[in-house]
Amino acid sequence: MLASSSSKLSHATLVHRYPPSKLHSEEEMSDTVFSSDENEMNYKRENVTHKDDENLQCEEFEETPLYAAILTYLSYAILCLFGWLRDFLRNSNIEKKRGAVDPNAALGFVPLYQSYESFYTRNMYTRVRDIFNRPIASVPGAQFELTERISDDYNWTYRYTGKTINAINLGSYNYLGFAEKSGPCATDAINALKTYGVSSCNTRIELGTQRYHVELEQLLANFLHVESSIAFGMGFATNALNIPAVASKGDLILSDEMNHISLILGMRLSGASYQTFAHNDMKDLEAKLRAAIVHGHPRTQRPWKKIIIVVEGVYSMEGSICRLPELIALKKKYKAYLYMDEAHSVGAMGKNGRGIMDYFGIDANDVDILMGTFTKSFGSAGGYIAGKKSLIDHIRVNSHANTYASSMSAPVVQQIISSLQLLKRPEGQKRICQLADNTRYFRQKLVDMGFIVYGNKNSPVVPMLIYMPARVTRFNREMLRRGIAVVTVGFPATKLLDARVRFCISAAHTRQMLDTALMAIDEIGTDISLRYSTRHQSRRLREL
Amino acid sequence: MNVGIAQGERNPNSSWLNSRGVWLTYIILLFVLHFILLSIPYITTPVAWTLTTTIHNICSFYLFHLVKGAPWETSDQGRARRFTFWEQIDNGVQWTGTRKFLQILPIILFFIASFYTKYDRTHFVINLATMLLAVVPKFPIFFGVRLFDINRY
Repeated sequence: MLASSSSKLSHATLVHRYPPSKLHSEEEMSDTVFSSDENEMNYKRENVTHKDDENLQCEEFEETPLYAAILTYLSYAILCLFGWLRDFLRNSNIEKKRGAVDPNAALGFVPLYQSYESFYTRNMYTRVRDIFNRPIASVPGAQFELTERISDDYNWTYRYTGKTINAINLGSYNYLGFAEKSGPCATDAINALKTYGVSSCNTRIELGTQRYHVELEQLLANFLHVESSIAFGMGFATNALNIPAVASKGDLILSDEMNHISLILGMRLSGASYQTFAHNDMKDLEAKLRAAIVHGHPRTQRPWKKIIIVVEGVYSMEGSICRLPELIALKKKYKAYLYMDEAHSVGAMGKNGRGIMDYFGIDANDVDILMGTFTKSFGSAGGYIAGKKSLIDHIRVNSHANTYASSMSAPVVQQIISSLQLLKRPEGQKRICQLADNTRYFRQKLVDMGFIVYGNKNSPVVPMLIYMPARVTRFNREMLRRGIAVVTVGFPATKLLDARVRFCISAAHTRQMLDTALMAIDEIGTDISLRYSTRHQSRRLREL
Repeated sequence: MNVGIAQGERNPNSSWLNSRGVWLTYIILLFVLHFILLSIPYITTPVAWTLTTTIHNICSFYLFHLVKGAPWETSDQGRARRFTFWEQIDNGVQWTGTRKFLQILPIILFFIASFYTKYDRTHFVINLATMLLAVVPKFPIFFGVRLFDINRY
């Protein structure tokens, strides 16, 4: 009863917020169709769980306004023109070449690189290089120190002044705030270092398995409510080397469009055939599943040995959440397997921090292969795979990451163990609630101010769209001037149009930090006109 | 720079022409070029139209059919290195919406230019020549063809 009444409340606010004339996503359509109270009661009585799912799945991807798209292309066209001009000046020796030059090309050897390949790097990336890859001088917690660097020659070289800038960190993945250098986890990790040493420098199957590895895997399996789990030293390698252990030639892998490059590398390495389906589009996935089962292999028409659907829990560039209930239904209907990469959602989503399954309230045994990383929420490094004992035993023997990589080192493992144990206590619950609170507050304020924010309203990854390369640069620099460090991403990491700033909310952020950030975003957003949203009225922060 | 890419698109060159608003921007840029030419006092309207079509066709020939590879490091391990931009669009699939748009545009420009030049012979010859230069390399039969090994490597 409590769940349905709270969902009724949030349903009411949804109706309030989105005017019916500017609807785009299906969730909003169904919400405003049943906007009057009687209809709401009927709808609620018929399928309450469906409406709960609707609210959990409330995502928004507002379409790019046309004028922003055109201006973005014009900006890139002008940047290209100036790029050609500068390249011409450099090639005719009017201007000095500052980039690396292949010394053998002048001696008549065949050039190693095509100079066109680095056109973007030379003429667009280097000009604004100071907003990317900033070195830091402290642990990346909620507030940190950035080393100050100044460039005298337009970002070709830097000199370090020796000072550091204290800034609020809205860019690091630190969802539960475990990136701290003092505290119970840090003390435990230092003690583990003193007890066990740095590393055993051996693989897991030879001498590398120590008692803390066994303890970690048991703890993790209990935490996730699965039978068994296995941990690896690197999150990227967990995906890239374990997908080949479960998939091989003759299988079909259906992966989401926006999957991370580690998953794609794993798929390519495995030798299986793979197809992509549109992002979070269950109809497209179902159509592809049906076509795959009916037609089989493309040439021989033989049936596929198995079909694996690969999705992520929270997509780090979009902030969207996979539609897990529908995926489980599809998976059971067509007897496919599901591999879920919870890199950004384990620890961050759900009432107990157990990830997307906790968020939707689904039994962990429904997902066949659960993958996650310790980097984002546990303040450590590495990845894990969790599932049935037979699966994990198979991976222990057949995975390259287990047999050829050295085992995780003791302090890293101890940090994870301590943070997992902390999550069970009330202090851990407080962190999870704080994260959810911060996320919803920040997202709501941004949306109310009129910015275009992608993704699910509960995901701690908040991408805000900026579109034009110059505005991206200006936003980043202005935020740093106000003492807030953000991560802005542009082409080619995102699509050409969708250059964005991606805020990563943390449980360690206090309300004051978020308010400072929001005031800065409000000011800069007014200065450089970032309020693109047509669905939400643009307002200043002081009016909210 | 490309390990930070979250998506797996191997060559963004293949899909950015399908993004929202590109075709409109293309037409807007064409009109901007035309208005710049029209505002030069010694150029009459027929000459302006012929100049627009000629400049457009020559630039599009250079950009689509002479320049090879992509201006950034692609994750396709150099597969697109020998292909021109036209061949990279939509990863080589023929007769997609973008390709049809880009093939029709020089022809429409030719019609407009012929109308505004009142079908004068000199203008016709110039416009026809540049239109063929822009349209013929886009035929599927010329996919991957390098005549006389020009521009092969």
